[in-house]
Amino acid sequence: MFAMNPMTTPPAIRKPSLRAWLPALALVTVVSSTPALAALGGDVSSVQKDRARFKASLQLSAATHYSVHELKAPTGTTIREYVTGDGRVFGVTWQGPWRPDLRQLLGPYFADFQQAANAKRTGRNGPLSSRSSRLVIEMSGHPRAFQGRAYVPELVPAGVLEDEIQ
Amino acid sequence: MTEPRVRRVLTAVLSLIAAACGGGSDGANAGNNRIAPPDGANVVGIVVDSGPPGANGAPVGYVNGAFVTVTVCVPGTANCQAIDHVLVDTGSSGLRLLANDGRAGGQLSLPLPPLEDVGKNAVAECFQFIDGFTWGQVQLADVRVGGEMASGIAIQVIGEAAYPVPGPCLGVGNDEDTLEGASGLLANGILGVGLFVQDCGPACAMDPGSGNPGVYFACSSSASGGCVETSLPTEAQVSNPVTRFATDNNGVIVELPPVPASGAPTASGSLVFGIGTRSNNGLGNAVVIPVDDRGTFTTLFPAQGTRYPVSFIDSGSNGIYFLSSAVTGIATCTGSSGIDSFYCPPSPLTLSAANQGAAGTPTVPVSFSIANAKALFDSNNAAFSNLGGQNAGISSLNLPASFDWGLAFFYGRNVFTAIEGAATPGGAGPYFAY
Repeated sequence: MFAMNPMTTPPAIRKPSLRAWLPALALVTVVSSTPALAALGGDVSSVQKDRARFKASLQLSAATHYSVHELKAPTGTTIREYVTGDGRVFGVTWQGPWRPDLRQLLGPYFADFQQAANAKRTGRNGPLSSRSSRLVIEMSGHPRAFQGRAYVPELVPAGVLEDEIQ
Repeated sequence: MTEPRVRRVLTAVLSLIAAACGGGSDGANAGNNRIAPPDGANVVGIVVDSGPPGANGAPVGYVNGAFVTVTVCVPGTANCQAIDHVLVDTGSSGLRLLANDGRAGGQLSLPLPPLEDVGKNAVAECFQFIDGFTWGQVQLADVRVGGEMASGIAIQVIGEAAYPVPGPCLGVGNDEDTLEGASGLLANGILGVGLFVQDCGPACAMDPGSGNPGVYFACSSSASGGCVETSLPTEAQVSNPVTRFATDNNGVIVELPPVPASGAPTASGSLVFGIGTRSNNGLGNAVVIPVDDRGTFTTLFPAQGTRYPVSFIDSGSNGIYFLSSAVTGIATCTGSSGIDSFYCPPSPLTLSAANQGAAGTPTVPVSFSIANAKALFDSNNAAFSNLGGQNAGISSLNLPASFDWGLAFFYGRNVFTAIEGAATPGGAGPYFAY
């Protein structure tokens, strides 16, 4: 039934430069073997679900006002979780050929995302760009090249610019 | 089951009228705007209109949707059904059709044989789109578009109640399994004629959990938990139908006429199969823009200004989406959630950018217009060359800002999409050309 198609060539997934953003933030980088991650708005010390769910490796970085937990899933998708000094996840981002489990990643804000998505009028593959006082969420791309970010404005530490959430 | 001859001729006439009336009226799109002769076996008519009728009989209200009629047949038989208003999507690969089961509201009622794995489990799919997913069985069909046929290929049937959506799939976003409603498809299906051979590719042939993104599922029962993530060889996956045509199988051209600056209620054009395989599908003066393995290239904006990688051309996006109001200085619309991400300049803008191949060459200038999106939406027209809005992403390597050149970009241009690995007179795909 299925003829082999000679056009098929396995595309290598190009990974973004891991360190490109580090100098700008002057971070201390440690590799953690005991990850502790949470969904958006959650308590970083309470949950280890994300790494398990995404079967990801983890890298932990620290900036002045927050720390960044970077997960690299075997699917080629990179997830970053931005955590306040007192341990709450205030922003998440992702980039890769497939999206992460957003229900897991957005936690209590998943319903806000769904509501924003339902209002989207940009066509099948057009981007989502939604801002409310509860959640800012942006998503773009197409199958095999997705990216997005979400953050909770009221949880963003003072002095942190929104574009630091990347 | 092909489109009646009368309608095809009418389509051509309307195209010529549209070209004559609309040419140059928005001042932005210019170039290789030939529309292929409608009588080629490799040509099927495109209509841009407000979409298929919904439950109340009125069109569902799609803006800038390019639709074609696709015919599916039980493999090897003349038992066929034609499905109209299938969205032409150069941003994905594979045919997906919405079932006619009442709730889903689609047209497909022809029973098709299921794809089964070696254990005789039905194969189903959770395919990811920008903010949601399509869930449903993978079934086998002969797929006819115009005079071309792909024999016995895997397609996705959306909206059948056979298997409940598995838990991991629900995490993707909204279930897009109806014609109408908040997360409705607003189309009877999606014809993915994009850059890739399969919808997922080699990643989905890997073992679950070791790089497999969990797109395909093996369903042993209709009970909750009856469908589990599975691997599927690339040759069995839902594939770009064009790659399975006997000829004209290296890519497609979307050809749409110019439309007036205020838009048009409908526009008619052609979806042409093959690049340089016949007298009606040569590259002409179109310039090839190679893409990377993600299907993206770089847009420079202004034309010699900042570089924005991960840009792409996509008939499945309805507008031209780029940057943010903070970067462009273009006002966004005020109003409800959903419209507030569109650009609403007080008067139309003509802008210049350049598209550059992923490896740095060539660099092709592009002029485009952005009008007040709220005024466009309020006009009740359906075809707009100047609809645009903000895109996600910021200027960083982690989340690059980019241009999404949606259907608004296509009017007055012939836009070529060449499939990965396929030989064409412009070199091997993947690439876009215009």
